[in-house]
Amino acid sequence: MIREPPPFFHRGPSPLARLTFFTLAAIAVMIADHRFHALQALRLSLNTFAQPLQQVASMPSQAIARGAEFFTTQDELLRENRELRVKLLEQSAAAQEARLLKAEETHLLAMSPGHSRYADGGVLAEVLYTARNPFTRKVIVDKGLTHGIKAGMPVIDGTGVVGQVTNVGTFTSEVTLVTEKGQSVPVMLVRNGLRAIAVGSGKDGTIEIPFMPASADVQEGDLFVTSGIDGTYPPGLTVAKVSSVEKNSAYMFARIVAYPAAAVDHYRYVLLLPLAPPSPRPETLEEEARKPAKERAPRTRREGGGAAPR
Amino acid sequence: MRRARGAKEAALRPADLTPVARDVMKGPASAGLIFASFLAAYLFAVLPWSGRWLLARPDFVLLLLVFWTLHEPRAVGQGMAFALGLLMDVSDSVLLGQHAFAYVVAVYGAQVLRVRIVSFHLPEQTLHVLGLTVVASCVMLLLNLLLGADFPGFGYFVSPVLTALAWAPASAILHSQAVRRRREATP
Repeated sequence: MIREPPPFFHRGPSPLARLTFFTLAAIAVMIADHRFHALQALRLSLNTFAQPLQQVASMPSQAIARGAEFFTTQDELLRENRELRVKLLEQSAAAQEARLLKAEETHLLAMSPGHSRYADGGVLAEVLYTARNPFTRKVIVDKGLTHGIKAGMPVIDGTGVVGQVTNVGTFTSEVTLVTEKGQSVPVMLVRNGLRAIAVGSGKDGTIEIPFMPASADVQEGDLFVTSGIDGTYPPGLTVAKVSSVEKNSAYMFARIVAYPAAAVDHYRYVLLLPLAPPSPRPETLEEEARKPAKERAPRTRREGGGAAPR
Repeated sequence: MRRARGAKEAALRPADLTPVARDVMKGPASAGLIFASFLAAYLFAVLPWSGRWLLARPDFVLLLLVFWTLHEPRAVGQGMAFALGLLMDVSDSVLLGQHAFAYVVAVYGAQVLRVRIVSFHLPEQTLHVLGLTVVASCVMLLLNLLLGADFPGFGYFVSPVLTALAWAPASAILHSQAVRRRREATP
């Protein structure tokens, strides 16, 4: 007759049984996270719990960085100031032109139903640190759900597209860089309007333009900007500059390598742009068009998003 | 008083016992020490590591999981490994479950090899721990390669080696802490 061991020797299931159980659990969690993007709630709550600890851990290095900043020489400051002034002058002309275009666009939008395709305002965020993952290229910024950040928002810096928000925590969010493997942006060649998709290669901070026929008119130094047809990235943001074009008649497609226009790996402040509103369905458009002009509601172009008035 | 205790300790010298018996006879470490050690390891892990430093970051959370599995098998086990793994996944913003999986596998190895490992001295223990950390790293590497990531280079294996090298100092510190606390607790 087999007897149960006395309760003080009882130690629960065997290690192998536990291993099987936890392995299955881990695989289930991985599939749920990877395939279905479920478990956002779990991630969010764990993140909220871990956030204060991470902040404590990043304090010393932040203090060092602040200290180093404090001791920059006057010479450096002067040089930077001069550079910034030149840049400001260069950009003020473009800004005035943009203001005019904006006014025109508002006027046109008021006459016919539709949404602005151009980004409007945005949230300035500071890059806290690079994600601690040797397999991916992501950074963590200091704005999250409480600041109205949503997954999918495009992220830019002063020179071009940096990436896209892929995960939002309570006070921080995770930005996947354009150089991450498989991260794609619909783009357009500035010189001739050729449409393409820019895909991060995951190596050496480069971007590839796949599936361009060997006969396509792409040259070294060409600029790719967002085309805006995806409804996520507003059109006209600089994405990449072509660094090499390899045309081999043995292959159907040209091999085009580009570098990101933004200073993807070394910046401190980025701008998180609001998501483009979903394009209106055709039937609502027709309805709107049938209404007399004065009844039309003034269009609220964006809800929330902390858009600053201009 | 002190002399009497010294005499008592001399009568029951740990060196006379087999390592396993020594391990069985000692009192449990305090829950506070276990918690504090994990907190310190986590804070170390979430320092802003990046680039090459990130590849070389020793994984003290894993090291402590192995340590406490060996020395406090009733307090720390696979459940704890799974939970801490999920926490590491979230704070490192990687696929949820990959640290959890790797930690559970390593802790299982520690549980199975427990009696064997604690009967060795520190150098041999370090080699065993190296095996466990390398297995954990390989699990994570394989998962990422399966998901289409690129191989980050052999620098990836610097971290498990450093983790194993930290075994001797870590266990010396934790043992001395555990013993000191136990002495303080017993009048």
